[in-house]
Amino acid sequence: MAVTEAPPVTRPPAAASRTGAAAVTAALVLLVAALAVVDITQGTAAVGPGQVLKALTGQADPGDASVVIASRLPRMAAGILVGVVLGIAGAVLQAVSRNVLASPDTLAVNAGSYLALGLVGASGVSLPLLASSGVAFAGGLAAAAVVLALSGLGTGTVRLVLAGTALALGLNSVTEGLLLLFPQQTEGLYQWNQGSIGQNGFDGVLQMLPVALIGLVGLLLVARRVDALALGDDAARGLGVPVRATRVTVVVLAALLSAAAVTLAGPIGYVGLCAPALVRPLARRFRGFVRARAVLPVAGLAGAGLVLGSDVLLRALIPADTAVAVPTGVVTSLVGAVFLVVTALRLRDTAGADAPDRLRIPSRTAFLVTVTTLVAAVVGITLAGVLLGDSKLLLGDVANWVQGRAGQTVSFVLDTRVPRVLAALFAGAALALAGTLVQAVTRNPLAEPGVLGVSGGAALGAVLLVTTLPAAGSWGVAGAAFGGAALASAIVFGLSARGGYRQNRLVLVGIGMAAGSTALISLLIVLTDPFNAVKALTWLSGSTYGRTMPDVLPVALVLALGLAVAVARRTELDLVSLDEDTPRLLGLGLPRARLGFLVVGVLLAATAVASAGTIGFVGLVAPHAARALVGRRHVRVVPVAVLLGAALVGTADLLGRTVIAPAQLGAGLMTAVIGTPYFLYLLVRSRRAT
Amino acid sequence: MRRLLLTAATTTAAALTLAACGTTEPAADSAKKTSGAISLTDSTGAKVTLDGPAKKVVATEWNEVESLLTLGVDPVGVADVKGYKTWDTAVPLKNEPKDIGTRGEPSMDTIASLSPDLIVASSDLPDAAVKQLRKIAPVLEIKSADASDQIGQMFTNLDLIAKATGTTDKAKTARENFEAKVAEGRKALADAKLDGTDIAFADGYVTSNQVSLRPYTDGSLIGSVNKQLGLKNAWKVKGDPAYGLGTTDVEGLTALPEDVQFAYIGNDDDKSSNPFSGQLKKNAVWTSLPFVKADKVHRLPDGIWMFGGPGSMEAYIDALVGALTK
Repeated sequence: MAVTEAPPVTRPPAAASRTGAAAVTAALVLLVAALAVVDITQGTAAVGPGQVLKALTGQADPGDASVVIASRLPRMAAGILVGVVLGIAGAVLQAVSRNVLASPDTLAVNAGSYLALGLVGASGVSLPLLASSGVAFAGGLAAAAVVLALSGLGTGTVRLVLAGTALALGLNSVTEGLLLLFPQQTEGLYQWNQGSIGQNGFDGVLQMLPVALIGLVGLLLVARRVDALALGDDAARGLGVPVRATRVTVVVLAALLSAAAVTLAGPIGYVGLCAPALVRPLARRFRGFVRARAVLPVAGLAGAGLVLGSDVLLRALIPADTAVAVPTGVVTSLVGAVFLVVTALRLRDTAGADAPDRLRIPSRTAFLVTVTTLVAAVVGITLAGVLLGDSKLLLGDVANWVQGRAGQTVSFVLDTRVPRVLAALFAGAALALAGTLVQAVTRNPLAEPGVLGVSGGAALGAVLLVTTLPAAGSWGVAGAAFGGAALASAIVFGLSARGGYRQNRLVLVGIGMAAGSTALISLLIVLTDPFNAVKALTWLSGSTYGRTMPDVLPVALVLALGLAVAVARRTELDLVSLDEDTPRLLGLGLPRARLGFLVVGVLLAATAVASAGTIGFVGLVAPHAARALVGRRHVRVVPVAVLLGAALVGTADLLGRTVIAPAQLGAGLMTAVIGTPYFLYLLVRSRRAT
Repeated sequence: MRRLLLTAATTTAAALTLAACGTTEPAADSAKKTSGAISLTDSTGAKVTLDGPAKKVVATEWNEVESLLTLGVDPVGVADVKGYKTWDTAVPLKNEPKDIGTRGEPSMDTIASLSPDLIVASSDLPDAAVKQLRKIAPVLEIKSADASDQIGQMFTNLDLIAKATGTTDKAKTARENFEAKVAEGRKALADAKLDGTDIAFADGYVTSNQVSLRPYTDGSLIGSVNKQLGLKNAWKVKGDPAYGLGTTDVEGLTALPEDVQFAYIGNDDDKSSNPFSGQLKKNAVWTSLPFVKADKVHRLPDGIWMFGGPGSMEAYIDALVGALTK
C-alpha cells in the first residue's frame, strides 16, 4: 500500500554550493517583501501607494495613517505570519511522516480547530482572541492526536492520510451541521472557514506572534532529529534518535503553529501542502537545503509568498468591495489545487502494484449470512424510514397508501417521505458501487468519487445550473452534475492516463480536483448569493429534502445499469484489482477495461450527487467494509458493498430527519457522522491485525 | 460488525411487529364544502384558490410571520420560533405556534400534521419543496425582498396575505399607520434640521479576529425607509439584488462622509452580532473615524427585524428618530 509514499529522496551530486542556497533564500525574501509592499497599498479605503508612503513617514492625515496602521499593516503581517507558520508546519509534518501529502489540512488539524470554533460560535459565547486560539489549538491537537493514535505513530503513512482525510470530512460535516442549525450565531463562520487574512488591528498578530515563535524555536531545536528521521526509523534509532518522541514533539508543535494560523485567519487551505512542495525541488539542486534547519525557513518564506501572492492577486483582479467577500483561502486553495495537479504530473510515480490486503477468506455460509442480514437490515431501514419522521405512521397507513385509500395527511406525508427514503437508498447504493469500481480499477483504498474530485465536479456542475437557472428540472440537474463529473474525471483520469492510471498521480490529481472544485463552489456562492450560504450549504450537504419521484429516477436507472455491468464483468473486476501484470498475461486490455469501469463509476457518482447532493464517505467506507466482511472477490464484494451503502445513507437520512425534528440535517452530514467512527474503527482493527 | 447487523435486523423486526397494521388516520376522506372562495395570484404568478379566509396559517419566513401578526392572525406553525423571538420583538408572537423547523428546510411532516388552511412560503424555498407543500394546503409564495422597491414589496406581501386571511381592513390600517409614522418621523427630523443628513446603517459579525460588515444600501428595506424619512444613504457600496446588502470591512468605513450618522442593530443574545459595541472599541481605524469621534454612532434597540414588516419598520423609525434628535 505504498500509495502516498514519497519517492525515496535520492541526493544527486551537489550541483551548487552554499552560496546558491543563500542566493535563493535572498531572492525569496525579496519576493515576499515586494508582495508585502504591494499588499499594503490595496484595500477598500482610498489609501493608495502615495498615502501609504506618507503614513509610513508620518506625514499622512490621521485617518489614512490609522488605515495603514490598524488595517493594512496588520493584514500584511498576518499574511506573512500565517504563510510562514503554515509552510513550516507542512514541511516538518511531511519530513517526519515522510509523506508528501501530510499537512495541517490532511492531518485534520484545521478541521478540528474549525469545529472547536464552530461549537463556541454556536453556543453564542464570544471569546477573546487568545482564548479562542486556545480552543482552536485544543481542537486541532485533539484531531491530530486522534489521527495519530488511530493510524499509529511511525507505521503506515497511507493510514495517516486516510485517517486524517476521513476525520477531516467527518468534523467538517459536524461543523456544517452547526452552521445550518445556528445560521445567526455562526454567521460569517462559513466565510471565515474559507480563510481570510483581514485583521482588526495589530492585537491578533501580536498575540499570536509569541505562540508562533515558541513553535518555530521548538521545531528548529528538534530539526537535527527530524533530519535523522528522513533516513528511516531504523537508521534514526541506530543514530540514537528517539523516533516516537520526536514525532510527538513535532506534531504538537506543528499543531500549535496551525492553531495560531487558524485563529488569526481561519483555515488558509493548502499552504502547508504547497509551500514545502515548492521548496522540495530546491533541495535536490542545492546541497544547502538538504538539512531541515535550512529547509524550514525557506518553506516558511514560500508559504508567506503564497499567502501574500494570493491576496495581492485577489485584490488586483476583483473590485475592492467584492474582494472583501472573497476570502484569501479560496484563492490559496485554487492555487494549491492547480499546484497539486502539476506536482502530480511531474512526480516520478514509483508506486507499483501493492500487496493485496491481507484478509481472511470467509466461508460461503458467512457470505450468505452477511447478505441475508444486510437485506433484512435494508428492509428494516426502509420501513423505518417510511414509518418514522416528525409524524409517526403505522404499517396500516402504508397499506392504505399503497392501495390509494389513505387520508389526506397520511398520503401527503408518504408522498413526500417515500421519494426521500428511496433517494437516500439509491444514492447510497450508487456511491458504494462507484467506490467499489474506482477502488478496484485504481487498486487504491483512498480512491472514491469524493476523493478523486468526481463528486466535487458533479456538485459544481449542479450548483452552476441551480444558481443560473433556479427552475431546472431533475433531469437537468442530473445532466449538469454528469457534465461536471465527466469534465472533472476527464481531467483527472486524462492527466493520469499516461502510464495507465498510476496510483500516486491519480490520487494527487484527484485531491487537487476535489480541492479546486470545492473552492470554486465557495467562490460561486460568495459571488452570486453571499447572504444565502444556508441555501447552498443545504444543497451541498447531501440533503434529500424536497425530492420527488422524478428526481429519484436517474439514479435508479443508472444504478440498475451499474449493477448489470458489475455482475457481468465481475471476473474482470477481480483481475483488474489484483495487480498490473496478471490481467496483461491473460490478454486483457487493461486501459480499456479500466476506462469502462471508470465511466460507469462516474455516471453512478454523478446521478447520486444530483439526486441527494454530495454525500462523502459511502464510496470509501462501503467497499472497505465489504472486503473486510466477505473477502476480495467482487462477486461477493459488489452486493455487500451496495447493500451497506444503501443501509448507511438510509440510516443517515432517517436519523437526520428524526433526531432533531422538526429541524433536519442533510443525509450527507449524518453519513459522515456515522461513517467517520466506523472508518476509524476499521483503521484500528486493521492495525491490530497486522 | 456481523453481530451488530444481526442486532439491528432483529430490533427493527421486533419494532415493526409492534407497529404492525394500525393506522393513525381513518382510511377514507370525505368531500369538502365550498363557499366564499377566494382566488389570488401570488408573487410567482401562481393562482391560489382558497375555500374561504384562511384561519390556520403556517409561515416559513419571519417577515411573513410578522405580516400575519400585524393582521391579527396568530400563525399555527412558524419556522425557527426561538430565532423569531430573539430577533423580532417589535411584533411579538401572541400564541405558542408549533416550530416547523429551520427557515431553509421546514419540515413537511410537521406542516402536514398541523393540517393548515394556508401555507405562506418564502420564494427562497426550493421549488421542489413548494411543489410538495402545495399538496398539503394552498401555498402563497411570497417574494421576501426586492431591492428595486422594498417598501412596495412589503405592502404587496401584506395585502396578499390579508386577502387570503380576510383581513384587508387591517392591512389598510397597517399601511396608514406606517405612512403616518413615516410622516411623523420625517417631520421630527425636519424640525430638528436633520433632513438630508447622511446616514449609514450597517450590521456586522465578528468571527475570531475578523470583523465583516454589511452596509444596508438604498435598495435595502432599512435604506428605503431612511430615504422616506428624508435622509440620504451614505453608502457607495453596491448591494445584492434581493436584500440590498453589500459587504465591506472596517477600512471601508473610511469612505463614509465625515459628518455621517451611523446606526446599527445588534442583539445581546447573539454576541457575535455586536462588533460596534465590542471588538471595534479598540480598533484604531474605528476610533479615528470622524463620526465615531463626534459620537454620531447610534445603537438602536434589539429586536427590530431589519427584514421585517411595517411593525418592525415603525419601531425602527421611532428608534432612529429618537436617537438622532436626542
